[in-house]
Amino acid sequence: MIPFTRHAKLSLGVLVGLALCATGAQAPQHIDIKQFSTTVEDVVVPLPNEIFGALNKLGPVNWKEHVHSDKGPNFTERPRIALLLGTVIADGFIAVQAEDAPAVKDIGQRVLALAKGIGVGNSITPHAKAIIDAADKRKWENVRQELDRTQNSVQQAMNEVHDEKLSQLVSLGGWLRGTEVLTSVVTEHFSADGAELLHQPDLLSYFQGRLQAMPEFNLPIIHQIQDALGQVKPLIDVGNRRIPAESVKKVNEITTRLGHGIVMKD
Amino acid sequence: MNLLAKVLFRYSSPLLALVALQPAIFATVDDAQSFALQAAEPYVKQGFQVREDYWGGDLGAGEKKAVRQQLFKGNEYWFWLGTEADRAKVSVHVYDSDGKLAEESDGWQKGHFAAAHVIPKATGSYFIIVSVEESPEERTHWALVYGFR
Repeated sequence: MIPFTRHAKLSLGVLVGLALCATGAQAPQHIDIKQFSTTVEDVVVPLPNEIFGALNKLGPVNWKEHVHSDKGPNFTERPRIALLLGTVIADGFIAVQAEDAPAVKDIGQRVLALAKGIGVGNSITPHAKAIIDAADKRKWENVRQELDRTQNSVQQAMNEVHDEKLSQLVSLGGWLRGTEVLTSVVTEHFSADGAELLHQPDLLSYFQGRLQAMPEFNLPIIHQIQDALGQVKPLIDVGNRRIPAESVKKVNEITTRLGHGIVMKD
Repeated sequence: MNLLAKVLFRYSSPLLALVALQPAIFATVDDAQSFALQAAEPYVKQGFQVREDYWGGDLGAGEKKAVRQQLFKGNEYWFWLGTEADRAKVSVHVYDSDGKLAEESDGWQKGHFAAAHVIPKATGSYFIIVSVEESPEERTHWALVYGFR
């Protein structure tokens, strides 16, 4: 991935041209989505901070109470490390929301240690350093950007050595932690709009499909997640109906349990 | 022309041709991504966080591809599409899961750049439809990036 800042110097002329010449694009008001059935890319997994940003707009959130920066145990199984890495990166986004510099720095170190444990430490070292530097200077936007780069670099490094399944587990770990926090916040101060943020059935189906394709990862935590996603699906796949407070609470219980399972040794 | 010169001429011509054609042959989705990011840059100043990740591939002229994406009500999104083929014309549009156009009217399309703006009315799956409408290339690389605030 090419860092965004590298493009900054190149684009001024192009953008001036675009601003002068851009035209509104016409598109049909309706399309048949099924016609794309063979050309639809997998669902794009959002970053945890996309959900946190939407949550922030619903009202003040006490992010400090959701910050986790414990070191936790060390694992040797690569799937477990991948899940935990995704969780810890999500914790980094939470610590940024809380503007908690010591937690961000601890998380930066933890990310690096986990990345080394999974064999992709080299690609993460500069990002971990940048996270810690930016946290020291309380440049939260830079920390957020480096966390995004960290996740992207980890997943690219994994994909390059054909560890796509581990890369998917990183995304899953982040999604589970993000969902745990989302449901915790919404359970505390319920609103229909907050609950609606849980309406992610395609994303959940995507993760279910990916886990089914990992029979070689025969670990208790993987089976627990598979079972849990099966329990969560009917709670959030409600079509045009609203997601009630009880469902949000239930999803929170499930994802909190999984969160403990990911962080703790069996 | 001596023998050495003849040999050099004979074997260097294809090499020179290859060098001249290099941008077309070796252009990649990463190049397309550079252009998509160029289109995104002014929006960063408006507070949009542009994701590091991107989606891309290649399409023939007239072909389309859908990227399914989870969007959250409350956020605002821009999607930027780019290609390195500067004589190509690309477009990007966003539809909800019922196939209804879901974008704002300020999306734009200019040659090998296009952008779509979405303020989701509901949280759920959306389809980002990318299209290479015209291109002199047999296959045209495309890359899609997005930002949110």
